[in-house]
Amino acid sequence: MFQHQYAMVLDLNKCLGCQTCTMACKKLWTDGDGMDYMYWNNVETRPGQGYPRKWDQIGGGFENGKLRPSEIPSREDYGQPFQYNYEERMFQGGLQVMPHEPVENTPNWDEDVGALMLGENYYFYLPRLCNHCTNPACLAACPRNAIYKREEDGIVLIDQERCEGYRYCMRACPYKKIYFNELLGKAQKCIFCYPRLEKGEVNACARQCPGRLRFVGLLDDPGSAVHKLVHVYKVALGLFPEKGTEPNVFYVPPFNPPRRGNYGKSILDDPRMPLDYLVYLFGEQVTDVIRRLEAELKKAQDGAPSEVLQLLIGRDEEVRYQIPKRESLVQITNAQIQPLRRA
Amino acid sequence: MRHIALFLIFASWATAETVDLPLYRTPPLYSTDRPAALEIPSVRLDIQPVDGKTVVKLEWLDRSRDAEAPAPDGFVDACAVMLPAGPVTGDVFPSLQMGDADHPVIIYYYDMKRGAAVMEASGRATTRRTGKTFTAQAAYAGQKWQVTLELPALPAGTPLSVAIWNGAQQDRDGRKYFSLWHRTR
Repeated sequence: MFQHQYAMVLDLNKCLGCQTCTMACKKLWTDGDGMDYMYWNNVETRPGQGYPRKWDQIGGGFENGKLRPSEIPSREDYGQPFQYNYEERMFQGGLQVMPHEPVENTPNWDEDVGALMLGENYYFYLPRLCNHCTNPACLAACPRNAIYKREEDGIVLIDQERCEGYRYCMRACPYKKIYFNELLGKAQKCIFCYPRLEKGEVNACARQCPGRLRFVGLLDDPGSAVHKLVHVYKVALGLFPEKGTEPNVFYVPPFNPPRRGNYGKSILDDPRMPLDYLVYLFGEQVTDVIRRLEAELKKAQDGAPSEVLQLLIGRDEEVRYQIPKRESLVQITNAQIQPLRRA
Repeated sequence: MRHIALFLIFASWATAETVDLPLYRTPPLYSTDRPAALEIPSVRLDIQPVDGKTVVKLEWLDRSRDAEAPAPDGFVDACAVMLPAGPVTGDVFPSLQMGDADHPVIIYYYDMKRGAAVMEASGRATTRRTGKTFTAQAAYAGQKWQVTLELPALPAGTPLSVAIWNGAQQDRDGRKYFSLWHRTR
């Protein structure tokens, strides 16, 4: 059993879709050979096809306690890496800037497309990374015991020495956040920036985020923002809870105001996006979360302080991140550990 | 030069033993997976003692040559010969599931992308690479694989089992074709 669990909360209301997190991760971790198509962190437009394409519809996770693996996404599902023809454009003239070859799918193929509701377009951005699940399907599926969950902080890692590239983990992960390095013959995934955390530095994706939407800390640390948002204020939810892996990346769901001309109405009475879609992503509890957020917003509008909204604003890093020093991490006693599971 | 020599052996081989071993599919790993079709019903096994070694030739029908494994959902063709790691007494053979704690096995594995590797195991999910390799060669023609493996000398009566992985059927690890134990003559 692991002693602690790192978690991340992402406030989707603050995400700009700028992909700065994506590039921070890419430059730091997936800039090597065989990793071209990998985005351990990606930001996708929702509703949309996602990355890899239709990852949310193909399966994975647990059903009645048993693994329910999907097919492995194809190269086409991930989208092809390509370059633009800058040299032709710059030095040959008369050409538009175009991909150097026909492109039929890319990681951000349907960016900002969204969908229509009552004739109006809606969409939001969903940043995604490995969920470092409490009950990881990838770990359960690996016949090599190459995947392990660190006892000291709950981070899920793949032992590159033991991995034989069988890719059962890719089939099992419901979030399709494990990638295959063709050149190495190994599965690879987000490592939650553990080398940074061990130095007391927050994850690169969080550090670089201009929207300041990421909160990082120990879920079992009562003083952490992630603990408060998930367990105390209960305004953050994991993706697809029915998949049974108990993800440790949580989201504050999109909390848009009611549609135009409906001042005073509840968001739930006149939403800007179908509630069903949010329930699809975050489960039935999303309705309660929106009610809580709406009540906090009303409280603030009436002039009363709202600690949860102040916390979500998260202007300063000290508010958003609580990264213990590695030495202090192992000194936290069991008595201080709060229950990891939501009530 | 060694590889050329192996094929020369076969070109003029007065085979000591030739046998067609029926192949079976391992059951699906997950209850939600459909059983895989039996596309490769058997493997031909030629066993020849040569210069204090035993050269084994495996030949099987495979409609596609899968040696490049386009990622991320591609897998390569492969084969292996499994032998008991210790002496076998009577008819008690190691488990076909990579031996067992009391009857460890040694596996001579060859995949079409990475080549030869010697592995050890003492039960399911215990397989590990030893870091050793062995001489082997593969050729694909006429929708057939021919793979020659140069093994240590196998005394008559040594049990061996063959495994075939068909990349086109996403075979890898325990998802494969296998034969029952066969005693060499």
